[in-house]
Amino acid sequence: MRMLIALLCFGLSSLVNAALPVWFGSEQASRTLYIHSTLDMTSFRPLLERFVAIHPDVRIGYIDVNTLELYYLTVSETAQPTASLILSSAMDLQLKLVNDGFTQAYQSSETDRLPRQAKWRDEVFAFSYEPVVMMVNKNAFAAGAIPEDRQSLLSYIRQQDDKVAGRMGTYDIRTSGVGYLMASQDARQADATWGRMLEAFGSHGVKTYCCSSDIIDDVATGELVVGYNLLGSYAAQRANADDNLEMIIPKDYTLMLMRTAVIPKRADNPQDAGRFLDFLLSDEGQALMTSEELLYPIRPDQEATHFAMPLGPTRTIRTVDLDQQLLVGRDLVKQRRFIRSWELALELSSGD
Amino acid sequence: MWRKLPPQTSVLERSLDYRHSPSLRGRFIAVGAFTIILIAALAIKLVFDYSERLADISYDRLLRSALLQMDENVGQENGEITIDIPWSAFATLAQASDDRVFYKVESSSQGFITGYYDLDSTPALPVEQGGIQFFDRQYSGETLRFAWLERYLTEPDASGTVRIALAHTRLSREDMAASVTQRAVELITLVALVSIVLLVIGSQLILRPLHRIEQELEQRTPGDLTPLTLKTPRETYHLKVVINDFMQRLQTNLEELENYTGNAAHQLRTPIASLKALAENARDIGKPEEQHQALEKIVQQCEALSDTVSFLLNQAMISHRLQSKSLGLIDIVQPIQESCRAQALTAFRKGVMLSFESDLDEAVIVGDTMAIEQMMQNLIENAVRYSLLEDSNERREVIIRITPLPHIYRVQVIDQGVGITDADKQRVFERFYRGRYDIPGSGVGLSLVKDIANHHNAEVQLSDTAPHGTTVTVDFPAFQFKGDHQ
Repeated sequence: MRMLIALLCFGLSSLVNAALPVWFGSEQASRTLYIHSTLDMTSFRPLLERFVAIHPDVRIGYIDVNTLELYYLTVSETAQPTASLILSSAMDLQLKLVNDGFTQAYQSSETDRLPRQAKWRDEVFAFSYEPVVMMVNKNAFAAGAIPEDRQSLLSYIRQQDDKVAGRMGTYDIRTSGVGYLMASQDARQADATWGRMLEAFGSHGVKTYCCSSDIIDDVATGELVVGYNLLGSYAAQRANADDNLEMIIPKDYTLMLMRTAVIPKRADNPQDAGRFLDFLLSDEGQALMTSEELLYPIRPDQEATHFAMPLGPTRTIRTVDLDQQLLVGRDLVKQRRFIRSWELALELSSGD
Repeated sequence: MWRKLPPQTSVLERSLDYRHSPSLRGRFIAVGAFTIILIAALAIKLVFDYSERLADISYDRLLRSALLQMDENVGQENGEITIDIPWSAFATLAQASDDRVFYKVESSSQGFITGYYDLDSTPALPVEQGGIQFFDRQYSGETLRFAWLERYLTEPDASGTVRIALAHTRLSREDMAASVTQRAVELITLVALVSIVLLVIGSQLILRPLHRIEQELEQRTPGDLTPLTLKTPRETYHLKVVINDFMQRLQTNLEELENYTGNAAHQLRTPIASLKALAENARDIGKPEEQHQALEKIVQQCEALSDTVSFLLNQAMISHRLQSKSLGLIDIVQPIQESCRAQALTAFRKGVMLSFESDLDEAVIVGDTMAIEQMMQNLIENAVRYSLLEDSNERREVIIRITPLPHIYRVQVIDQGVGITDADKQRVFERFYRGRYDIPGSGVGLSLVKDIANHHNAEVQLSDTAPHGTTVTVDFPAFQFKGDHQ
């Protein structure tokens, strides 16, 4: 397995190095800040543009990387990291980076304002929430038959056996860090339900994807009826724009992740990385996430009338704690066993 | 005036003196504060040790609990030893909020199972199977606290041991220790400061009686020597008594001096008046022989006056000497013999024999040689004077005798003069009292003798010599070495 990871790691890093950064800000800017991020450009562009408008002396090179790739890339670049700021939704991998000593501490008035549960060791900082949701193509459902939670989704799958076969999609937890996180937290929250979901997925030929956006694309075209465990901010944006799509916030429980930022230990430009982080956490940055319908801001006072966060008090929200517990999910043996059982259930071979 | 003003010291000198004098209160505060600070420092040291132990005890419990939860989930799967780390184990560790966590699970048969491969999991203490040990070790740039366990596998078909090392950084422990310490240090510092402030205030209160005595004395009129009646605490009682005694002595001395001066002036006035009368008389007399006689009288009167003045000076000198000089060990045989020798010729010219009778080589007393000589001179002069008054053809003799008695040296001056009446015996020791005015003398001779005798703790007695005359007996206490019981 370790051999595999090493190979994967090597392959991925060469792949990422080939990816060209997207540039923001003036070419004449005196300083450059490289950001490695898992955020889709559509959700992040306004924030980047605003930042370089405020700081014209900084030029940002933005490189979009998959969550798991991002982790191995950061670990492999320990000696000389490309990016000075790492943004990821896979909070377990981010926390592991911190725990294993790959990051440096940062402190400012903005990070001091963050609630305790939104940061750890002053090295990893959450800047937005991310509810874990489902997405369906309305056309596939009769009016009023859209499932509200996992149980109703399961009974729908049972009833519409042939209709859903091969038309469900979820993350490939082997290649997506955040996919693994969501699956492992699902298993932790409700082991029995998770088992039945896996069984249902396996028996109906679930499709696995690397990214939220790909799943949503396929749901939008009608190729998929339902996408399970998607990141809420992307789903909400697309659901707003497309009448065929409906985002479902599961009523039984809703996992709540956080998008986090870390600064690698030997980062070239930790000053500007800190400045950018401060901007994300600032009133302006947080307000921009809401007004531009980009992300769910981390500070509750920014949440007042949010674009698509219908999480009322009746919802059971399970916020994944940003602390040492995340390390358990990334335990070598546990991870191997979990992926193995996932592969078995979904009738996928490990060689896939 | 008799009152002498003390030499005026300048204000500058006084303030310098004041500044350089050691302060009782300063010393009291310094010693007190030093003690308090010492105790506080000790307490803080104890708190430091204690708080670290306390933090370790508390957080070792967390670590132990997490380790046991991990240990419970060691199992066998497809013939392999494996572990399914429970979420709750790390939820326990998350209570040490900011501490990084590292672990390593190994078995004797499989080697590394999971965790951090490069974590040094060798035990730091002697291994006791199934027992948990705690120790500190460096890893990943930080000091970690390890909980370490090794036990025999109990699963069927499994043999050998499984070893779990779970560690976390010491941040929370240090935070806890620091907060305990900080609070304790704050408290101790506060208590110490309050104690020192109380000490300062207390010292002010304690020394207040001294200031009151000082004020009382300062506010007095210059001649006021009445005792202090101030109510003061027990600790200053002796000071007060000593001051009062001192003032009493001063008062007595002043009174004596006043009397003496008054009497002396009075005594000098009479002979001066008579001298004046004699001189006027001599001036008015026409006949040269009578005039010569009158002048002769004036000369006699002048001699008497001169005697009186020298007596007065002697007495002043002696009493000053007695007051200012401390007494020493002296031999009285020698000075008494000297006195006799010095006066023998004068007495012989007047027709009186002086004889000295003593078998002693030495008679040691506590006293002053000069005072003894003065006393002897007065006694011998008196004796000679009184001897001359006796009209007889007998041999006039004055005997000076020193006799050793138990604890006493008796000095006697014996004359065969006219003697002193019993009434006069009571009064001759009074100053300026003269038994008889027909003989020259100042009247201070015997009173000085009495003074000197008193100063030597000696007793003076007058008695009659048979058949006539006077015996003056002075009993000096002999000096005795301590422990000399004779």
